[in-house]
Amino acid sequence: MKRLILIALVLILVGVSAFAADYYPKYSGKQTTITMWAWTSNENYSIEEFEKVYPNIKVKWENFDVHYEKVQTALSAGSGLPDVLMVEYSFAPQFMDLGAFQPINKWLDEKTFIKLYGEAAMGWCAMDGEIYGTPQDSGAMTMFYRKDLFDQYGLIVPKTKKEFIEQARKFKKAAPHLKYMAAPIGNTMWWIGQVWEAGGKLFDYSNGKWYINFSNPVAVEVFETWGQLFDEGVFDLEMWWNPDWFNSLNEGTTAVVINGSWFAEWLRYNAPESEGKWRVAIPPQWNPAKPNNGMLGGSGFYVTSHSKNPEAAAIFVNWLNSHPASLKCLHNYSNLPIMVSARYEEVMDEVAGPDAFFGGQNITKTLWEAHQLVNTTFVTLPIMSNVDESLSLLIQEYVDGKIKRFADILPRWEKEVIGTMKEFGYSNVITGKLP
Amino acid sequence: MMDEMMNNKMNEMMNKKKLNKKTIASIKAYLFLAPFLLVFSTMVIYPIGLGVKLSLYGQRGARMWYIGLQNFATVFRDSKFWESFRIPLFLLTVQVPLMLFIAVLIAFLYEKTEKRGGKFYRFIYYLPNTIPGIVTGIVWSYIFSDSMSPFRTVIDLLGYSGTKILTRQHLPSILLVIILWAFTGYTAFVIYSSLIAIPKAFSEQAQLDGATFWQIAFRIKLPLLRGVLISLFIFNAIGAIQVFNEPWMLGQLVVLPSNYTPAMYIYNSAFAQGRFTYAAAMGLILALITFLISLYVLRSATKQMLTGESH
Repeated sequence: MKRLILIALVLILVGVSAFAADYYPKYSGKQTTITMWAWTSNENYSIEEFEKVYPNIKVKWENFDVHYEKVQTALSAGSGLPDVLMVEYSFAPQFMDLGAFQPINKWLDEKTFIKLYGEAAMGWCAMDGEIYGTPQDSGAMTMFYRKDLFDQYGLIVPKTKKEFIEQARKFKKAAPHLKYMAAPIGNTMWWIGQVWEAGGKLFDYSNGKWYINFSNPVAVEVFETWGQLFDEGVFDLEMWWNPDWFNSLNEGTTAVVINGSWFAEWLRYNAPESEGKWRVAIPPQWNPAKPNNGMLGGSGFYVTSHSKNPEAAAIFVNWLNSHPASLKCLHNYSNLPIMVSARYEEVMDEVAGPDAFFGGQNITKTLWEAHQLVNTTFVTLPIMSNVDESLSLLIQEYVDGKIKRFADILPRWEKEVIGTMKEFGYSNVITGKLP
Repeated sequence: MMDEMMNNKMNEMMNKKKLNKKTIASIKAYLFLAPFLLVFSTMVIYPIGLGVKLSLYGQRGARMWYIGLQNFATVFRDSKFWESFRIPLFLLTVQVPLMLFIAVLIAFLYEKTEKRGGKFYRFIYYLPNTIPGIVTGIVWSYIFSDSMSPFRTVIDLLGYSGTKILTRQHLPSILLVIILWAFTGYTAFVIYSSLIAIPKAFSEQAQLDGATFWQIAFRIKLPLLRGVLISLFIFNAIGAIQVFNEPWMLGQLVVLPSNYTPAMYIYNSAFAQGRFTYAAAMGLILALITFLISLYVLRSATKQMLTGESH
């Protein structure tokens, strides 16, 4: 019996290593140290595991806050970037376009990438077939709601956009001093996420061309719907991430927040007084027959053009974001929804479980389901900070009453974005249609 | 002081001894100056030179190419750059004079309360200046927040419940309050230190003639403060033109365009949009404008002082 188990174990080990070898190539170079900038917490546990498997690669991790300004400076200086850089998916095309990354297809080919991370992730980590990095956490749109308020006012968890609007109206009538949900002033990726969730796009990239079309039917419908609700007074527009907004989450004056799935972690640490009151759900669907979801945030780890050892860096980013041993560490210590890799499923049952902050709900499962609904690629423009500023100012003008119809924001926003693309010297822009 | 003494000594030596001693002396002088010259050339001259060089290039990512004065031509046509001077102009015409006026009053009060806890008041008024601008910004962002502001109850009582405190329309006044709070005490302190340098004989004479404290303050002492007031005006004008910290912090709370102030526009162009060379060109133009304004104020003020003294 013992021998049988031993043989079985050996077979499993052989099987696992053979299986693993497919995804994770051997490192052929000399002893080396690579550097990484990332703002998540506790990446070191995964790094320790990695160094055990690849003793010839040491990883030096430096933890700054979001470091795009440093990156811009290093880029224009021509040196100073680390080997591996953490960047949000929405900003990745900008840095790809600026030449911040180098392709790693040699060590991670397209077939393997799609097997490990799914086809949608190609839009966040690759351009023109060149893969620059691997995706880590998901920003799948998730509905966070206050169960205590829902119970108190007899609300149900909405499954469709129609139900969502009905519930919001009902709540507004019953509790005019509270907010069902506040939509953000600015926060472009949230609004893009709304369009994405409805199955639409505002812009795209294909075969060396940027496509911009903000006034396509899906986008217009999304903005019209929100506009009606704002005019009706069912929802407010608010600036997020400021003391008032934090306060409203902690005090429970807002019943619903729709945000990227990483927000679960943010709530846990920043609204501790609301422990046990929040729950998560799949965002209400526009078309329940064809469920879809968008993303807000989420980041990948990219190999930079300044890296002297792209082989080591490529092996590392792939191992970090897809190997079960690493995913387990990242789940347990970084507490982010590290679920873009298909291999997350292998560790999910082990790491997921009832979560006290969310009243014992197994939120990992819901977040995973929300991520599985993200099935379309969404490539962002290479000028995201300008796209963002322009939308913020336009929504503010709507709030101040200078723009009467909310959907009128779309054409004006589009015009400014096209103007900036031109100003920044992009001649490969096609407007008025998407590929 | 040390340098002066050294120079004097060396001058004496030079007069007494032969010519080759003179070269030794100047070598010595430069040796003493070396630490300053080193820091000044690497930290001031070199960056300015580099800025000038950068401003002559076009840039996208790591790619740079020579374009001559094209960036400067773009700056002159860039309405976003010139619109950004609205806030500095407001501060220059409202905040700076207002602050100097209040600071003069406070300085006189420092003098008046000299024997009754003057030190304590000076300490209290000086405190805000010791707090970094960014920290100040965070604290004020809570004070002016809509749901947590300590003024909320007062505003509600006055019948303005539901009115937003922090809006873009209110922002210039909020900036005014924050900057006044942060710098008035310090400015008063500087004025006070030149007040006590005024010979006591002046005010004693006036007192004998029956002038009151405030008469002495405004009729006799204020005109004597002209020099320090002009310097303070120039310093604060420079501060106003380059204002950054306070609006930057408040930008987390209200939607502000990237060109709310010139310094913010330069910063955003360089670091958020990655247009370093264009930002360098704007930076140089901003420096030139600052320099010209200081020069103008200084010139017209010296002229006035000279004609004033000739009376």
